[in-house]
Amino acid sequence: MTEIARTIPECPDVIAFHRAAEPFHLFLGLREGGVEGEARYYMDFCDKHVGNPLIRTFHGGVLASFGEVVAATYLARSLDRGDLPDCSTMTFDYLRPAFAGTICAVPHIVRAGRRITTVSVQMRLEEKLVCIGRFLFPVGGKPLGDKAL
Amino acid sequence: MPHMKSELDHAVMAKAFFGSQHPLFNTFGIDVVAVADAKAEMTMPFSETLADGRGALHRGTLVTLLDTTCGLAIFSALRSLRPIATIDLRVDYLRVIPSGSGLRAVVECIDWTDSVAFISGRGYALDDETPLATVTGSFAIDTLGPAFDSKEMSTS
Repeated sequence: MTEIARTIPECPDVIAFHRAAEPFHLFLGLREGGVEGEARYYMDFCDKHVGNPLIRTFHGGVLASFGEVVAATYLARSLDRGDLPDCSTMTFDYLRPAFAGTICAVPHIVRAGRRITTVSVQMRLEEKLVCIGRFLFPVGGKPLGDKAL
Repeated sequence: MPHMKSELDHAVMAKAFFGSQHPLFNTFGIDVVAVADAKAEMTMPFSETLADGRGALHRGTLVTLLDTTCGLAIFSALRSLRPIATIDLRVDYLRVIPSGSGLRAVVECIDWTDSVAFISGRGYALDDETPLATVTGSFAIDTLGPAFDSKEMSTS
């Protein structure tokens, strides 16, 4: 498996994407890459990501946040948008403990509808699936002022 | 029963657990406002280091605060700090987070079995009663590792 490292500072459009949500992206430590032409996103464990310090697992909220950022970034790239769309609903299934390590996220657009686009993100730790997130984006919908939808 | 302790004791322990000893909660500045009767309320202040591009707290901080408050509500319901882990979580975003505002989460543990607890809650901007998001989910009880009020916790 060939992995092409692509760090944020090397690519101006990547910088623009992450500047839109900084500095929280920096807190997550989001990294982008690609494997055989498919997008991959990475997050390395640090102490500030810890949920259960006794067994050193990622906090569930950090994993969900990472998934949402990955889904938004991937969707923005797919739509050639210069900003990150906000999701309206996220559902997240935690399948295994996510111990300290590097999480690899693999996004996938499940369906791009007229009103809603659904993005699925699988997260793996050392090749094992640890969680799955599903994110609904009201892409194409009318702006509703201060409402998120 | 070893897990049965008074609500007050657990409020004190929970405040210790969710306080400065925990790296993430310390970074977020998470504070326990109330914990009793299977309900919990927590807040976090605005922080530029956790903001998005609009000058508001990133939505990820709201998810993290909600998830954390779910845990505290469950601890209150169980009257113990037995290890728990999120099974699934659903968050519906109702409104954008106001720029420069802190956040508040209020969560109730609706019910629980021997192995699973079920929660429901809402997220708010500080000093505002209009919900920004709702949360529902379930948590596994007695998962990996020792209880959070064990000796290991106090020395970690």
